Formats: sequence, C-alpha cells, structure tokens
Amino acid sequence: MESYSYINIFETKGLEYILLICFLLLFIYFVRYIFSSKKKADENMK
Amino acid sequence: MAGKNVLEIGTATPFKKGYKMDKKTIFFGEVKRFFKFILQEMKPRGKWLTPFNIISLPIMFIGFILLILRFVKGLGYATNLSQEFPWGFWIGFDVITGVAFAGGAYVITFVVYVMKVEKYHPIVKVTVLNGLLAYMFYAGALVLDLGKPWNIFNPIIGNSFGYNSVLFLVAWHFLLYMATEFLEFSPTIAQWLGWEKLQKILKSLTVGAVIFGITLSILHQSGLGALFLMAKSKIHPLWYSEFIPVFFFVSSIFAGLSMVIFEGTISHRVFKDKIDSKHHAAFDEIIFGLAKGAAITMFVYYFFKALVFIHGGQWSYLTDSWGIWYLFEVIGLVLIPCFMFAYGAKNRNLGIIRTAAILTMIGIILNRLNISIITFNWNIPAVYYPSWIEIVITLMIIFTEIWVFRWVVSRMPVFED
Repeated sequence: MESYSYINIFETKGLEYILLICFLLLFIYFVRYIFSSKKKADENMK
Repeated sequence: MAGKNVLEIGTATPFKKGYKMDKKTIFFGEVKRFFKFILQEMKPRGKWLTPFNIISLPIMFIGFILLILRFVKGLGYATNLSQEFPWGFWIGFDVITGVAFAGGAYVITFVVYVMKVEKYHPIVKVTVLNGLLAYMFYAGALVLDLGKPWNIFNPIIGNSFGYNSVLFLVAWHFLLYMATEFLEFSPTIAQWLGWEKLQKILKSLTVGAVIFGITLSILHQSGLGALFLMAKSKIHPLWYSEFIPVFFFVSSIFAGLSMVIFEGTISHRVFKDKIDSKHHAAFDEIIFGLAKGAAITMFVYYFFKALVFIHGGQWSYLTDSWGIWYLFEVIGLVLIPCFMFAYGAKNRNLGIIRTAAILTMIGIILNRLNISIITFNWNIPAVYYPSWIEIVITLMIIFTEIWVFRWVVSRMPVFED
C-alpha cells in the first residue's frame, strides 16, 4: 500500500505555495522598486 | 495637414439646398480631385539610393517571383514541409510571432482610450498603424502555408465552417480585428484626405472599435496558443502546457511593448522631421512608462512559467540540451530583460531599455519558434529547417510591410496629434 506523507513537499504542492507567496512578496517590492524612479528623479531635479 | 497642402481635397462646396443642379458636378469634381491626389501621393519622395532600398528592393523582387512560383508549383516546391512537419517557418515566424509583436496596438489603445492615460496619446496612431500592417502582412501570410489557399474563405462563406477548430476562431478574429484596426486608423486617413466631416464620424467610433479590438485581441492571441493544445505528444514537455493560451496572451503584452519601444526608437530617428519638438521631448518619458509596463508583465509571466514548471514536476528534463535551451529562453530572454527594463526605468537609462527590448523580442521569436518548429516533433529523427525560399519570402513580407509603413508615415499625419 502506498503511504502518503504530509512532509513530501511535492505531493502537498508545498513548492507551489512557497513560490506563490514569494511571488506576491517580491511583486510588491518589484513594483515599488520600479515606481520609485519618479521620486528619485524629482529629488535630483531639486 | 498633408492632404490639404497638395490639392485641397474635400474643400469643395458641400451639398446645400439650392445647389441641386450642381450636385453631380460637385461629386464628379470631388472624385476627379481624389484620384489626382492619390496619383500625386503615389509618386516617390526622398532619395532612392539609400542602404535600406538597395538591400530591400532585390529581395522583394526575388521574393515576389518566388511567391508566384509557390502558388503555381505548390508547397512542395517552395518549402521543406512534410507530413511530420505540416507547419513551418511561415506559420511559426510570420503568423505566430508576427501577431505577438502586433500586440502593442491593443495594449496602447487600452491604456489611452480605456484607462485614459493621455501620456501615451502621441504614439497611438503609429502603434495602431503598425498593428494593422502587421496583421495585414503576417496574418495574411497564413495563406502561403495553405495547401489549398482558396479554402481560406471557407470559415467566412459557410462552405464547411469548421467551427470545431481553433482556426475557425483565429480566422474570424483576424478578419474582424483587421477591420477594427482599420476603423481605428481611419480618422488619420480621413484627415489626410481632408474629409473633416467623415473624420469626426470615424473618431466618434474609435472607443467602441478599441473595446471590440481589445476583446478580439485577447481571444485570438490566446487562440494562437490554443492551436498547439492538440499537439501535446509532439511538443517537448518543457514548452507544452495546458496554459499555452495564457502564456501567449501575457507574452503578447510585453512583446508588443518591446516592439513599440524598438519601432518607436527607429521611427523617431528616421522620421524626425515629421515629429515636433514637444513630442520628441515626451517620447523619452513614454519609453520609460512602456519599460515599466513590460517589466511588470514579464515578472508575472516568469513566475507563472515557474509555477507551471514546478507543478508539472519537470526537473528531470533540465538535465539535457533541451533543458539548457529552455533555461536560456526563460532566464536569459525573459528574466534578465525584465530586470533590465526595471533597472532602466528606475535609473532613466534609455540604452538599457532598448537593449532589453531587443532581447525580449529575440526571446519572443525563440519562444514561438520553439513551440511551433524547434521542439515540435522533438522525439522523432526527422528534423525541419526552413528552405531558402521560405526565408526569402518571409524577408520579402517584412520589407514590403516596412515600405508600406514608410509610405503611410511620410504622407499621412501619423505623428500629429
């Protein structure tokens, strides 16, 4: 009989969840990084 | 206004009460002036002996002869297509890749007419023109790859609709989208001809046409990907996914934006005398905005790719040369240009953004060719490579499109507000 273990990250799709959480966190940082350019440019102008 | 300066088209006395006897005369006078004006505009302008003309004209001439031979002697004469490889370079590069690059039109019209971001208004007309021509030439190249090209009308005229096929959707969408893009561009043509009343009417239809066009684009960009869903056993598992339609749609956004950056950069150099200084100054800001859009879309695309990869448990495929090829496409031509766009936009570096746009375009070409040609039938000994005739005809199509684009831009008020 095949055993099922919750520790197996592939069977529980743990990697997918980790990747998704990483994506959401990184996406916030990434968008902030891109849109910080205007502030920087304005500061340079001053 | 380009038209009015030449022959004052459309300035004839309008049809008013009391002028009934003159209606016919006015009409025929207008028609006569119209044809005179068109003939005048057909005359070449500028220098003939430019490097581009010297390279493109012989290729177009040879390509045209080869095109005739292809239709007279059939696909076997002109292509390396076979039973194993029924779709080749014309579908893989011209149609699948060309349509992805035309994605800039629906993205920019959405941003300007639906989101009301006026910053991008100066590039709307040229982007729509680019999209229209891309569809006319690249989607039109679909005819080249049909063994019985006269059957192209079947999905339209009802002689065996074939509505079970994804190509039915693609055929109708291409047709409707070309008409929609023509409608979006038609105010510029009316302005060129000096038909002010018609221009106003056509302008009032623009928003409706844009919304219809965006809907069509989303569906047929993904529809082109859906064509490959039936080839699960033929495409390498690293490239095949049930999400191909979504990948095709998302990648068409940054493919289109990269194309707009690339084409806009060249246009602003070649047609600098047609662009006023205000638009020249605004163009850099537009590029930065487009780079941000491309970076964000590529970021999402990359993670979605990674998610599908992990979900499919495809680690074992990374160990051979296909795996390295896949990583080169996904990391080298998606993730790296994504960060380059972000870095360039943040640090206001146009050089990095332009390089990223070129890398992204190469990535899109590679992705579409990987799915449609390179990894197609990867598990059989037979290999497809395009014949020289296929390549010359493709070059002819590209050069003809550039010639038409140049003709339109140098005559119609494409860069005017």
